[in-house]
Amino acid sequence: MNTPVISLGLLLIAGVANANDEVVVIASGALPKVDLPTLQRLYTGRIVSVGQQAATPLNLSAGDPLRKRFLEGVLGQTEEQYTGYWLVRRYVGKGAPPQEFATVDEMLRQLASTPGAVAYVPVSKVPSGANIIYRAGGK
Amino acid sequence: MNGFFVRFLSLTVLATLSASSPAMDFNVSGFGTVGFAQSDKPYHYQRFIDEEGTFTRDSILGVQADVKFTSQLGATVQGKLAPSSESDRRWDATLSWAFVSWRPTDEWLVRAGKLRLPFMLNTENADVGATYDFARLPMEVYSIAPTTDVVGLSISKTWLGEKVDWTLEGYTGRTEGHWRYYGREIRDGSNAPGSWFLPIKIKSSGLVLTAKTTDDVFRAGVHEVEVARMGTKTGTDIVRNATPIPGVGIYNFAPGGVEKLIVPVYNLGASVLLPQAVRVTGEYALIRVNSASEGLSRWGAYLSVSRRFGEWMPYVYFAKMKSTDGALEQWKRINGNVLPPPLAHLNPTQKFLADIVVPMDQSTLALGTSWRVSANGLVKAEWAHVRTGVASGLVDAPKGSDSGGQHLNVYSVSYNFTF
Repeated sequence: MNTPVISLGLLLIAGVANANDEVVVIASGALPKVDLPTLQRLYTGRIVSVGQQAATPLNLSAGDPLRKRFLEGVLGQTEEQYTGYWLVRRYVGKGAPPQEFATVDEMLRQLASTPGAVAYVPVSKVPSGANIIYRAGGK
Repeated sequence: MNGFFVRFLSLTVLATLSASSPAMDFNVSGFGTVGFAQSDKPYHYQRFIDEEGTFTRDSILGVQADVKFTSQLGATVQGKLAPSSESDRRWDATLSWAFVSWRPTDEWLVRAGKLRLPFMLNTENADVGATYDFARLPMEVYSIAPTTDVVGLSISKTWLGEKVDWTLEGYTGRTEGHWRYYGREIRDGSNAPGSWFLPIKIKSSGLVLTAKTTDDVFRAGVHEVEVARMGTKTGTDIVRNATPIPGVGIYNFAPGGVEKLIVPVYNLGASVLLPQAVRVTGEYALIRVNSASEGLSRWGAYLSVSRRFGEWMPYVYFAKMKSTDGALEQWKRINGNVLPPPLAHLNPTQKFLADIVVPMDQSTLALGTSWRVSANGLVKAEWAHVRTGVASGLVDAPKGSDSGGQHLNVYSVSYNFTF
């Protein structure tokens, strides 16, 4: 089993996010860097692994500004499109959407305890030593 | 009781497994539709719709539990409360899905258990009105699938492309169900008009190829359905027997029959997003049933055009289905067979046999819109004009008349939600 490389202590000292921060995608364990299409497939449930390793995407709750930036800037979808996509996918029996968290800190705690978990955070909240697998352009 | 126990047990097992490991992702969601539909005719259309109006045709309540044991292994249970598929008078709580899913790699998906089959574009999510914009899926096509749920196995392979994902899904499974008939003069086991439900055993196998892009979806399917009756043969023909009266014959079931019917079903579908946010969707399905109910052998198709305007999605569609010419001619012969005295008391049996043919000849022009009132709520409204040709098995023909040559308007409004 992979050991999460991010400790809870490191996560809790993450700073306050700036609305203009670049969004980066981090992973627990030794997941390799990914390209944009791979990330899009992961968050839409079309793949469940990255580089032959199981991967579990994590998400913020609907309405979170960072989630909105991630969906629009990385996945190229509006909140309505993304929610609608998963609504159909769930009800055709192809799985449930990524687990959602109310705050970045909660999501990072889950990331720390879940090998292969993937999350997006503002660059100011990237824990030291984090495994950054994708960088989106900042706005 | 047993069914309830199985449902309760399924949900309990999922909940227990989820609670036993915080790493599992347990997710419960629900869906429902409160729908009212009314026509301008006194007879029933699609089982329930008449001039009195009904909430029964479209209303439904469902709950679904998804659990991810790992990123590759999961399980899904979905139950629903909806009008019964074996009675026009009651609602049943049934289990739509109860399957485990395993994705050994990104390309392969194996599901085993009670599954919904991938027939038309919206067959799998047909119960969830919030997932599509039509007030009611065009029954000219969606009524063609002999069954939608089976207990069996589904294996799919996906080829992920830069722009198009191709998925080939093969499945096989069995179920028990009912075929609904309606007798306008007499029905099976009674001298009064009404519906009855013939219990059948079904085995269905098929291959479905689906191509998806971000905006478009294309699907083609080939299915083979085996249908058998419980404890008796099926596939009996209806034949005309001579009587002592010159020129007068009586239709009746022929002796014989087969253990099971082999029913091929084919379907094609496409939904394409055009410039200016215009979406065009079309589906076609074909089924062949070699039995006394040869009217079930038919094709059905529809073409819809819709366009999104913010939260609104107005649409128009035209749908048509038609039984084979041979089936419609058979229906006309039996339906028109009026027996003179002293055989006139047998005339209701001739109408009964004509009803058994289940002719399908009708078209629908529908104009409607959906309106997304929230992330979880969709209001729909539709006017549909239905015209029957020779006859239509979707119309419960009034006593002394038949379902042919009818024009009816159907008004529908519904609130569709998820939670």
